[in-house]
Amino acid sequence: MFPYDEVSWSAVDGAMFMGWGGALPGFTTVIAMIICVAVLVVGQKSEMAKTKMFDK
Amino acid sequence: MEEQIAELAAKLAELEAASAGAAVTNTMFAETFYYLTIPLMIIIHAGFLAYEMGASRLKNVLSSGVKNILAFAFMIPTFYFFGWWIYWGLPTGITGSAGPAGISGAEYASSIAFGWGESAQYMGPNIADQASGVFFGAFALFAATTASIMSGAVIERIQTVGFIILAIVLGSFAWVVAAAWGWHADGWLVTKFGVHDFGAAGLVHAVAGFFALGVLINLGPRIGKFNADGSANHIPGHNMPLTVTGLMLIIVGFWGFLMACVIVPGEAWSWFGDKPATIYGTPITLSALSFNILMAIAGGIIGAWLLTRDPFWMMSGALAGIISTASGLDIYFPALAFIIAFSAGIILKPCADWLEKRGIDDAVGAVTVHGTIGLYGVVMLGIWGSGYPSLQGAAGEVPTINLMGQIIGAVVFFLLGFVPGYVVSYVLKMFGMLRIPEGAELAGMDLVKVPAEGYPEWGGEAPVTPAHPAE
Repeated sequence: MFPYDEVSWSAVDGAMFMGWGGALPGFTTVIAMIICVAVLVVGQKSEMAKTKMFDK
Repeated sequence: MEEQIAELAAKLAELEAASAGAAVTNTMFAETFYYLTIPLMIIIHAGFLAYEMGASRLKNVLSSGVKNILAFAFMIPTFYFFGWWIYWGLPTGITGSAGPAGISGAEYASSIAFGWGESAQYMGPNIADQASGVFFGAFALFAATTASIMSGAVIERIQTVGFIILAIVLGSFAWVVAAAWGWHADGWLVTKFGVHDFGAAGLVHAVAGFFALGVLINLGPRIGKFNADGSANHIPGHNMPLTVTGLMLIIVGFWGFLMACVIVPGEAWSWFGDKPATIYGTPITLSALSFNILMAIAGGIIGAWLLTRDPFWMMSGALAGIISTASGLDIYFPALAFIIAFSAGIILKPCADWLEKRGIDDAVGAVTVHGTIGLYGVVMLGIWGSGYPSLQGAAGEVPTINLMGQIIGAVVFFLLGFVPGYVVSYVLKMFGMLRIPEGAELAGMDLVKVPAEGYPEWGGEAPVTPAHPAE
């Protein structure tokens, strides 16, 4: 939702992104961080599995 | 006393001179701002050129380049002849009536966007007009981008002239109608439904992507793409590094594309005296774009890597990241942009595979990257950005972004792309102007059409891929 009481851009003089003043920015930042870590974990696991196939 | 008055008068004259100087500086800045977006957007075409040529087999590499270069060349004059007029003439619909902002309608368009009569003063060198040329240039490059999007999908079997006709219909008509309706302060999609598409996810990318789909249905797949049982063969291009580098160049150019979506402040035609705005008059900053574009590129790459590990799809994921967030780059929070872009990177390849299973041979995944993800981006903004004013104006007097409005916008953008693409390519097919003959396709389009060789020292002995379709 629009983070200002008056639904007009004339009322905006600062931050204007979605979720400003609420929990959304922090929540999405945490989710984004988790995604980065999770992708690295999954990537490492699958690459290790593939490289093992070439072990002699 | 007289001395003081003289001193004050001198100071006033000094201030007036400084103010005039500042106005000149701002005007020059505004002109330079848009002027620089033009070469940046030409980098998009350098990227598309490299990407398409790399995705072509050796026997077609130069003809793919010729087609792409020629599309760019025809897009500029046709957009000059009538595309620019359409943008200003049709925002309120096909009636060409004037809209509430007073910058639209057939009469208005005829007074500023035709290359003849009184209107011609705004369509050529004019010392008193430092805006029209650079605006026209930026929009003409948007038009050329739509043609290049379609261009990649149809490589290796389309006729050159047929393709150019399609490119003109797309770049100087179809997307321009979408822009007039959904990317203009008087556009009916904006004023009636609150459609917001800041970075043109729908009105450029989706329109071009689904135009390409309409063409592909009539054009058919390349020889050897599908087997008798309907299964698909992968037809690798001759140079993956060139393709991936081309995709990276497209992304470089997109900074110019998105920069050109910003209206600078302080001019007679600006929305504000002191802050930049979107094309809808809503405030924006280049800092907002920097945060969100970078996070979107990263999210798209990471999502695509997770699923494919393929550099082609990773860089396509970067594009998908930008496109999936383009509608709301002005108001997304960067981490949210990252998450949306990540999801776009994840769904990219499955969407392309889905299309391929239905017999569509999209050589570079353009329908998915630009079409499907473009609509995904338009709808995503409806989910996350509901309640935001979609136009500049007083509370209660302007429409707000809403999911239904964005869905309506997505449907209109789909139709504005798919219908003309399908109909015009169908007509071209009837006249034998769509697809090259089978013999020429098998021999290779470079041999047939281009009096030059891409790799003269070793090209002739390179294997032709794929071999023949499995029986």
